[in-house]
Amino acid sequence: MKILFSLMLLFGLTLAGDATIEVIKKVDALPSIGIEDASISYNDTFKLQFFKTLVADLNVISLFNVDRFHRTTHYNATDVVVENKDMNYVLRYKMFEDDSGALNIDMKIIQNDTAMFSKSYKVNRKNIYMFVSHAIAYDVNEFMGEPSVLWMKRKVIFSRIVGPKKSEIVISDYSLSYQHVILKAGFNIFPKWANKAQNAFYYTSLDGAQPTLKHVNIKTLKVSSVISSDGMMICSDVSRDGKTLLLTMAKKGQPDIYTYNVASKKYKRETTYGGIDVNAQFMDKNRIVFISSRLGYPNVFSKRLDTKEIEQMVYYGRSNSACSSNGEYIVYKARETSNAFEYNTFNLHLISLKTDFIRRLTVSGVNEFPRFSGDGDAILFIKNYKNQSSIGIIRLNYNKNYLFPLKYGKVQSMDW
Amino acid sequence: MKSIAVSSVVIALLVLGGCSSKEVVLDTETTEAITSSTVQEVKAVETETVTAEESIVNSNTNSLSHMSMSDIESELSTVYFDFDKFSISSKAESKITKAAELGKTGASAYNLKLEGNCDEWGSDEYNFALGLKRASSVKKALVAEGIDASRISMVSYGESNPVCEDKTQDCYSKNRRVDFKLLP
Repeated sequence: MKILFSLMLLFGLTLAGDATIEVIKKVDALPSIGIEDASISYNDTFKLQFFKTLVADLNVISLFNVDRFHRTTHYNATDVVVENKDMNYVLRYKMFEDDSGALNIDMKIIQNDTAMFSKSYKVNRKNIYMFVSHAIAYDVNEFMGEPSVLWMKRKVIFSRIVGPKKSEIVISDYSLSYQHVILKAGFNIFPKWANKAQNAFYYTSLDGAQPTLKHVNIKTLKVSSVISSDGMMICSDVSRDGKTLLLTMAKKGQPDIYTYNVASKKYKRETTYGGIDVNAQFMDKNRIVFISSRLGYPNVFSKRLDTKEIEQMVYYGRSNSACSSNGEYIVYKARETSNAFEYNTFNLHLISLKTDFIRRLTVSGVNEFPRFSGDGDAILFIKNYKNQSSIGIIRLNYNKNYLFPLKYGKVQSMDW
Repeated sequence: MKSIAVSSVVIALLVLGGCSSKEVVLDTETTEAITSSTVQEVKAVETETVTAEESIVNSNTNSLSHMSMSDIESELSTVYFDFDKFSISSKAESKITKAAELGKTGASAYNLKLEGNCDEWGSDEYNFALGLKRASSVKKALVAEGIDASRISMVSYGESNPVCEDKTQDCYSKNRRVDFKLLP
């Protein structure tokens, strides 16, 4: 037994320089934060619901070891609760309902018994409380002087299948806890934000004679048809200025990538391979990455829009069928097993154009729909594992993944 | 329209009252009865009665000689594909030959829509393209069998139109398919 113990000790010591152990040390080294609830309105269920959301959001910003105990106190109490005495930071908040029924939240960050930062929030309905929680986490991150997590405040648009040839398009917060169905009847899929301001989106309607790309202005709810194609029509990406779309169309039954000029309504065929070319994403103004079957299996390629030159980007994975890019980084979905008779594993991988390094971002289940945040700081994705679907957030710079279980249906496509 | 229908029924009753239900007999008696009255009146009546008769014939007797659209559709059997493949298996070839024959005979008046579908393995654009390539393979085979390409349209539903939703191999294979739909 002693020998075994000493062997284990020796083994442990030799691994001390390993990167994973380093990560654990880093986690321990994070400052601690306790959360104190001083709410005077609302029932216990709602109070706990908000607390849980805030804990999740503070975890996602990856700056603290967040204490998970729901402590209550008075907002103006001079001391923090006794259990939080040793915390580096305490976040105290008070929820109260005003005469108009709006949800008000006051928040302050306490360090060494001194309020270092405070802010007030207000939303008209309490059922959108998660947006306040995201805003608090965003402000805490700003207060700590870390790179912006503006993506926390952005909206996600996704489609879900509710029955054969029936779908819904939903707008939600980044954790998908708030969901607003914006398109209900019909068979509408592949939603994509039309601009940075997120006040309009594109989607594919499969209800008509031909698949048709449609544009919806969220404020006026005006729906207009953009372009149709036999067989297939998907808006894969929208340029940063919103002026150019990357479409997958199949004009003659042949799925190829096209660029579409929103102003002139003219399109140009960018790929001509006789197999499958789909899922184009802008890397920058003149360069795209896309998925092609030109090697006999789906893989990631890139193309300059001003030349015909095509380059293979990924040399790992048997079947890499989806990708998202941000500047020099590409995240792609790879099938790690190829078995028609069993559950297959699909993991997300990250590559950089500047190095040959491949980083595996997930380890189990079916991981799909990778989407970079606008600033490249985070990746949103869907994880299906053991009959549970979750939305995942990967914080690339912190080497951490967070999962939020999804309550409803199967996501068909998603944009952030 | 209603008055036309009513008047045609009344006229038909007056003119044809008491005759047997056999069509051929009906027709000749109609002409006879009509010609016996003034010519102009008869002509006007004929155009009206023809439309009314046509609708009756369609619902009663014509279905024996011509199959309805849904009947022909049910004769067109779904083509199934292997995992991650869009090539047509030898098993499916006979189905396509049969579909092509129907397309040239019973279904010659209709256009054909091919709906490509996939199993749930992959819910991205590639899966939609795979569904489309499956439909495209069937289209090429039909064209090779002599069907005019302009009569065939295609759409892919990816994994969004499953016929079976169990998590079994049998179920997945049922979803990797191309369905035939007729368009008037």
